[in-house]
Amino acid sequence: MTEYAIDIVNVTKRYAEHTAVRDLTLRVPTGSVYGLLGPNGAGKTTTIRMILNIIAPDSGSIHIFGRRSDDPKITERLGYLPEERGLYRKMQVRRVLKFLAELKGVNGRTAESRIDEWLERLSLKTAEKDWGLAKIDELSRGMQQKVQFIGTLLHDPDLVILDEPFSGLDPINAQALKDTVVDLKRRGKTVIFSTHLMDNAERLCDSVCIIARGEKVLDGTVTDVKEEHGQRNIALALDGESMVGEILRDHSLVKRVDDSNRFFEIEMAPGADPQALLKRIVDSGASIQRFEMIQPSLHQIFLQKVGASGVEEGMTGHG
Amino acid sequence: MAKLWAIIKREYLERVRSKWFLIATFFGPIFFSAIIIVPAWLASRSKATSDVYNTTILDATGTGFGHRLAVNIAGDSTSSTKMPVVKVVAPNELSQAESVAVHEVMRKERSGYVVVNQQTIAGESARYAGANATSIADMAQIKEAIRRTILASRLEQVGLSDQKMKEITFIPLDFSTERVTERGRAGSGMASVLFGFAIGFLLYLSIVIYGQTIMSGVLEEKTTRVAEVVMSSVPTDTLLAGKVLGVGAVGLTQQIIWIATTYILLKLRAPIMAKLGAPTMNFSLPDISLAAGILFLLFFLLGFIFYSSLYAAVGSSVNSESEARQAASPLMIMIVSTGVFIQPVLLNPTGTTAKVLSLIPISSPIIMPIRMAVTGVPPLELAGSLFFLAIGCLAALWLASRIYRVGLLMYGKRPTMKEMARWVSYAK
Repeated sequence: MTEYAIDIVNVTKRYAEHTAVRDLTLRVPTGSVYGLLGPNGAGKTTTIRMILNIIAPDSGSIHIFGRRSDDPKITERLGYLPEERGLYRKMQVRRVLKFLAELKGVNGRTAESRIDEWLERLSLKTAEKDWGLAKIDELSRGMQQKVQFIGTLLHDPDLVILDEPFSGLDPINAQALKDTVVDLKRRGKTVIFSTHLMDNAERLCDSVCIIARGEKVLDGTVTDVKEEHGQRNIALALDGESMVGEILRDHSLVKRVDDSNRFFEIEMAPGADPQALLKRIVDSGASIQRFEMIQPSLHQIFLQKVGASGVEEGMTGHG
Repeated sequence: MAKLWAIIKREYLERVRSKWFLIATFFGPIFFSAIIIVPAWLASRSKATSDVYNTTILDATGTGFGHRLAVNIAGDSTSSTKMPVVKVVAPNELSQAESVAVHEVMRKERSGYVVVNQQTIAGESARYAGANATSIADMAQIKEAIRRTILASRLEQVGLSDQKMKEITFIPLDFSTERVTERGRAGSGMASVLFGFAIGFLLYLSIVIYGQTIMSGVLEEKTTRVAEVVMSSVPTDTLLAGKVLGVGAVGLTQQIIWIATTYILLKLRAPIMAKLGAPTMNFSLPDISLAAGILFLLFFLLGFIFYSSLYAAVGSSVNSESEARQAASPLMIMIVSTGVFIQPVLLNPTGTTAKVLSLIPISSPIIMPIRMAVTGVPPLELAGSLFFLAIGCLAALWLASRIYRVGLLMYGKRPTMKEMARWVSYAK
């Protein structure tokens, strides 16, 4: 039997007005990069908080590396980066990091040497300046984000949970985060992150789970999920002005289209022939740059499965 | 345990290192000795001023009463500068003499004038008008001198010699007060009241300051989302306990420094008072036993836990400083209404009000130490007070930890009382 990093079985969490997570079952294989996808208010943050034992499920069970999630020993193997980030503003960087490490059971001396290592690695400690001695509020936003990554990873966790890690990151830090995720995977760590940015998920994740309104919509490896949704999609790129709008609105041919002005991702109508579509477009006189049968993107699958109705009214960003 | 220690250590060190702590710790003793020394200095000032010697006596008695009064006002001093000026006037010239005297006061040549006449000799009335008419001590000294002069005149009428008269009427009374407890004499009564006031004020101040410190600390962790990271590492109860204990230790450190340095400053009180030119009063510091000291600390700690856990709950339930101030107003009302009773309790430390207030956990951490400072409190009352306060603490901690763990994760609008009541019922 495979040991799962996370094994959630039939978990439900209710609040007074609504059910945040309903009968959720999901398994995250050890050593994988796992994406928890869903619109705002879908129940991602609630699920993550239950995994972290910040809140307890009303029913169901959660096991992490085979142990119950409320086992105090397990928290030391978890690293967590919350969605909205911040640190003690008036506190020195090194002291914040040491405090966070101590909460994860790392002793002071080990923490000190790891802090040096990380500060140097993320260029917060150079020959000219040691930002470790500065206070948090003297740091730029980008630097504070780096400090927060360090705080998440300082105790060398086996399971790293990142809640919307890319929101608010500048391109350089976003790249650093991607590199870190890849590096963690290479070292056999499990990474789970929640996001509503499908591009990042598609590139980084081995497996995904899409949830909406507190329920699982689908899950599996990215490859399986895409295959399941068949090769019914067409990538179309056009050059210059063209009059294909009417063709794409023909529901006998096209079920759904994602129009990005010059690039279209088209989901064919059931039983429709792609060749017929190609012919119509050629006949319209449009100049075609690309016409390719493709697997649907996660973005398409997401829209198809969740749609606009997946977002609950009146929810905050903390599902 | 190691994690609880990490939280306590952070709360303690970060606050003790702050500039604010250093400033407050340094100025505290100066402030506290000032509130003890200044009233004593003012009290010494309440001895009559030299203005009384600068009085004009308008004597319309025609009996030499004015000259005797002048001697009595000057007291045992024979210096001519201390002798009031006596003007003997006929009763029908009195109003003119008075208007001259008024002008002298207006030109600040004299500080005032006293009118004595037949009614005065009869012991019925005398009048004073002057710039220092509101000075209680000056007026008391002049009134006393008039009484003594009347008494002397009457004694003379029954045929006593001048010497005998002086012997009888001269009463240089020095009235000192001292408190007696069941352990015997315990320093001067005045000192006990001042000490009781200082203790009450100190506890009151600490609870307000450190309660709000905890509240802003919790609020900071919530708004910066540090709370979520910490909660993923330690249970919320540990986080709350660490905060209360860490900040409590800061408060205790500050109190110990305050009390120790204030004590030393008061020991050096005599030279300081001498420098200020005030006579040293017969003043001894209250004799505080070790047991009483430990009880004071116990009341401080329990009172602190009671209020700070509630402040933490408030901090966790709001989203901004301004919301926090508003939400904390019920706590502020609880503390301030206790503060209002400090003086009545000082005046009547064994009364029903004092007894009832020292049983209620809201007020007992402030009121009971005050009573202990100024009077002997029966052991049964002490035990009862501590018992109810301990129960109050447990209740406050229970309530606070439940609001705290839900509140820290709730963002958006401020919760209503009803919503908070529901949080309390959540399992986790």
